[in-house]
Amino acid sequence: MNNIINDMRDKARQLLAEGKVDVVIGYEKGSLPLKATPFFAHSPAEVDSLIWDETCENNLATYVAKTPGKKAIVAKGCDSRALAVLLQENQLVRDDLYIIGVSCAGVIDQRKIVAEVGEILEAGINDGKISVKGMAGDKEYLFAEVKDATCQTCRYPNPVLEDVHLGETIAVSQEAPAFADVIALEEKSAGERQDYFKEQMSKCIRCYACRNACPLCYCQECFVDCNSPRWLTGGVNRAENLFFQAGRVLHLAGRCVDCGACTRACPQGVDIRALNRKMTKDVYTMYNHEAGISEDGKPALNEYTTSDPEQFLVKE
Amino acid sequence: MKISKEKFGQAFDALVADYKVIAPVSDGSGIAFTEVKSFSDVKQDYLNSKLPPKAFFFPQHEKLMSYKKEGKDVTVKSELKVENTILFGIRPCDAKGMLLLDKVFKNDQYTDPYYYERREKAVIIGLGCTKIAPTCFCSSFEISPAGSEGSDLFLIDLGDSYEVEVVTEKGKALADRLALAELTADEQALVDKIKSAETPSKIDVSNTTSKLDKMFNSPYWDTLQEKCLGCNVCSFSCPTCHCFDISEEVCKNEGTRVRTWDACMAPLFTLHGSGHNPRDNKKARWRQRLMHKFNYFVHNNGSMSCVGCGRCIKSCPVNMDIRQVVDGANKAELVVE
Amino acid sequence: MQQNPYLPITMKLVKNLVETEDRLINTFTLEFMNKQDEENFKYMPGQFAELSAYGHGEAPFGIATSPTEPGILKFSVAKVGCVSNALHLMEEGTMVGVRGPMGNYYPIEQFKGKNVVIIGGGFAFTTLRSLAKYMLDDKHRGDYGDITVIYGARNPGLLLYKEELAEWENNPNINLVTTIDRPAEGWTKHVGFIPSITEQIAPSSVDTYAVVCGPPAMIKFTLPVLEKLNFPPERIYTSLEMRMKCGLGICGRCNIGTEYVCKDGPVFSMAQLKELPNEY
Ligand SMILES: Cc1cc2nc3c(=O)[nH]c(=O)nc-3n(C[C@H](O)[C@H](O)[C@H](O)COP(=O)(O)OP(=O)(O)OC[C@H]3O[C@@H](n4cnc5c(N)ncnc54)[C@H](O)[C@@H]3O)c2cc1C
Ligand code: SF4
Ligand code: SF4
Ligand code: SF4
Ligand code: SF4
Ligand code: SF4
Ligand code: FES
Repeated sequence: MNNIINDMRDKARQLLAEGKVDVVIGYEKGSLPLKATPFFAHSPAEVDSLIWDETCENNLATYVAKTPGKKAIVAKGCDSRALAVLLQENQLVRDDLYIIGVSCAGVIDQRKIVAEVGEILEAGINDGKISVKGMAGDKEYLFAEVKDATCQTCRYPNPVLEDVHLGETIAVSQEAPAFADVIALEEKSAGERQDYFKEQMSKCIRCYACRNACPLCYCQECFVDCNSPRWLTGGVNRAENLFFQAGRVLHLAGRCVDCGACTRACPQGVDIRALNRKMTKDVYTMYNHEAGISEDGKPALNEYTTSDPEQFLVKE
Repeated sequence: MKISKEKFGQAFDALVADYKVIAPVSDGSGIAFTEVKSFSDVKQDYLNSKLPPKAFFFPQHEKLMSYKKEGKDVTVKSELKVENTILFGIRPCDAKGMLLLDKVFKNDQYTDPYYYERREKAVIIGLGCTKIAPTCFCSSFEISPAGSEGSDLFLIDLGDSYEVEVVTEKGKALADRLALAELTADEQALVDKIKSAETPSKIDVSNTTSKLDKMFNSPYWDTLQEKCLGCNVCSFSCPTCHCFDISEEVCKNEGTRVRTWDACMAPLFTLHGSGHNPRDNKKARWRQRLMHKFNYFVHNNGSMSCVGCGRCIKSCPVNMDIRQVVDGANKAELVVE
Repeated sequence: MQQNPYLPITMKLVKNLVETEDRLINTFTLEFMNKQDEENFKYMPGQFAELSAYGHGEAPFGIATSPTEPGILKFSVAKVGCVSNALHLMEEGTMVGVRGPMGNYYPIEQFKGKNVVIIGGGFAFTTLRSLAKYMLDDKHRGDYGDITVIYGARNPGLLLYKEELAEWENNPNINLVTTIDRPAEGWTKHVGFIPSITEQIAPSSVDTYAVVCGPPAMIKFTLPVLEKLNFPPERIYTSLEMRMKCGLGICGRCNIGTEYVCKDGPVFSMAQLKELPNEY
């Protein structure tokens, strides 16, 4: 880790000093234990705040299109996949972008820890072990025990797109994507599934943190904000909330890179991922498509050919 | 004065007949203020709720009125509904937050009947904090973790009993239904100790307002907000944020006019019909957030509109920490204009 | 008991008049349904109201009538979105909701004994019409000195209240100057932008108040002209627009610094605006 951090700072320093970029988007230590926070370094003097570890949970690709000028970005596997989709959709200019790739073994799911030890007072990460002092007790975890659910099924820990790679790459064993979580949900009865989503959706407060944290939710005017026509009301209830999430997941079909940023951003702990994963599985089985695994190609639903089997779609 | 928890529980259960009683409940993913029917449903050992209790006076989504159109005619009906309510277990920061919201919903010209009539019919039973979270910083605002300001009746947990402080007339009316006893000397000492506690985390706000007077054009705002996502988390979780939207929900020829929480962090908040937007960038919006809480509100209402509850710090998806933001403003160099 | 300020009164749309050639602005005449409503709705020039188009929503519009015109209220509304479109499509006889009057008004008490120059551009002329009409009323005309109105639009078809303007042309109690941006067939009056016409007319600033309303660009270029003519900022007034919802200073939407435009405005003097952040 330390080597990666040093290399990252050196690279950032060099890019800024040589004027290759105006800003380096990475992470710095946050104000709370086990929290990193997105960081924008504008000058070589600032680069020593950059860090890299298991707390770097935000998807920085969210910021890229909104940040003017030439920028470098620290990208994990999932961040790089989001960048790839953004490039496929012509949202970014590749020449304005310098990707500092890092392989990622996963990020920590804070909620799991807080649920057990209460508010975290102090924490340290050492050699794959996380020791936590909480208001309700102390505990030491193995990283694997508190790894975020997204990272447990991640097949792309190494950036798919990068201008430089820092540190080692991570060997990937899985051949095809595993959807055990989705299958488990699918196997439940319709009633059970309904109950599950009812419970999840009743927690949502429509703060739109999920949408805003998502690198691929970049619409100028989101359907939830549109007032003519008004697609959904401001009502904060299960039905309206589900309509919002269902709309969002449909808009992300074949585009969602399963980075988990939306779920982690949610202050209410809504299981947004359950919907996204189902869509990801369906897109994979129907189109054999995984979003953002290379710079070329198009999201599954943005592309058609005249040889598509559904002939009604294409007028010859 | 004090009352045993057992006796308090009995009195509490009796109150349920006359009042809608709201209390902290564990909902699986945290603490929520919810209507309860029995003291046994109340979570007694908790830090604070995920969302602020303001929603009982100012719901996130509320009908203001309904209407029915018939041809060219229309009939309009108010949807104001008020119940006698007790809010139990309100923390000192949130109780103070309510006093601040009072100033908003009754200004020099208007009184908001939806908020106010509910507020007047509600009794606040405050509960002092004996455990303090790392994100709590209410002591920065002269709020004590065991202070009774804003409560009608104020309790401190002494283990098997509550110390009871009658703060207002409304509180007295409730206290009359409780069999109160005198504190022992030991208990008094414990109360004094709890009352003298401060939050370990504290920010210096002594000069923040006057500093901000001169900071509208400061470069501080340029980089401060870069990581902010412009979501509604910080405002929705804040006990003192009061911004709302008014919209219409229509079904054929009937409809309701509703208000819903809104926030200055949303780009559309200030977008004019003409397309012009006076706060069309995140920088202007974060400046508004900080200015409103630590400057404009002080000029208009005589105090800051942050009570140090720490909810925005805990819930922000990018770890924007208002303590650091204020600290940064305190330290920012002033540009000579 | 104070009335519920969120509940509109019901008024009847008696006239829906296409006001401009581009058909983007209509003037609505609303009639009070009873004396009580009218008495409760005591307003002054410069105030606004929230109009409800039921089924669509509510939006703020300046009151174009003057309190000296009993029984009715008029609003001139540009078609820009949800509510304004719905209003434009409304048939005469439809009931609409009205909340108000809201906000402060032009300082007509201070204007007493002084000359007043009214400068308006485009469809922001609504509350200026109210002001002029109020001062021209027989009961009030004696209170004021010279009244000058400089009013411009892009072309003649876009001027509001054409009949009234024609009447003011020949009214010795008011000095009306109308202008359009570019020459047009049949137009014999001034041609040019409002700032330069103001400079040409050069109203004296002695004992005079100026009231300026219009698009931001027009205001921006007119202010320096007034300054050159020695109008002090305390004697220049304008009316601001912000996105509004409650109109009561509660929903937190329309502030400029410490001031809520709905409740503390919309009328501000330039001296006041200089003290506020430049965020409108
Ligand atoms: C004090 C005051 C006086 C005024 N006087 C007048 C007057 O006399 N005459 C006049 O014509 N106007 C006046 N206005 C302006 C008038 O209030 C606006 O034009 C009006 O509110 C527009 O409302 P609308 O519902 O028609 O448009 P909206 O539908 O609210 O908005 C119009 C445009 O903005 C966009 N928009 C708005 N809100 C949203 C949203 N939530 N999400 C996405 N897009 C959005 C829409 O896409 C649309 O293109 C005044 C304003 C104020 C504050
Ligand atoms: S929907 Fe969620 S998981 Fe998918 S790309 Fe967006 S933030 Fe990542
Ligand atoms: S982040 Fe969570 S609470 Fe907020 S809108 Fe998304 S799902 Fe709802
Ligand atoms: S919660 Fe955080 S990211 Fe969201 S608006 Fe507030 S500061 Fe920005
Ligand atoms: S600004 Fe944050 S800390 Fe302050 S009262 Fe609001 S939510 Fe609590
Ligand atoms: S203006 Fe912003 S900070 Fe102030 S109350 Fe409204 S949402 Fe909160
Ligand atoms: S419109 Fe609500 S505060 Fe001004």
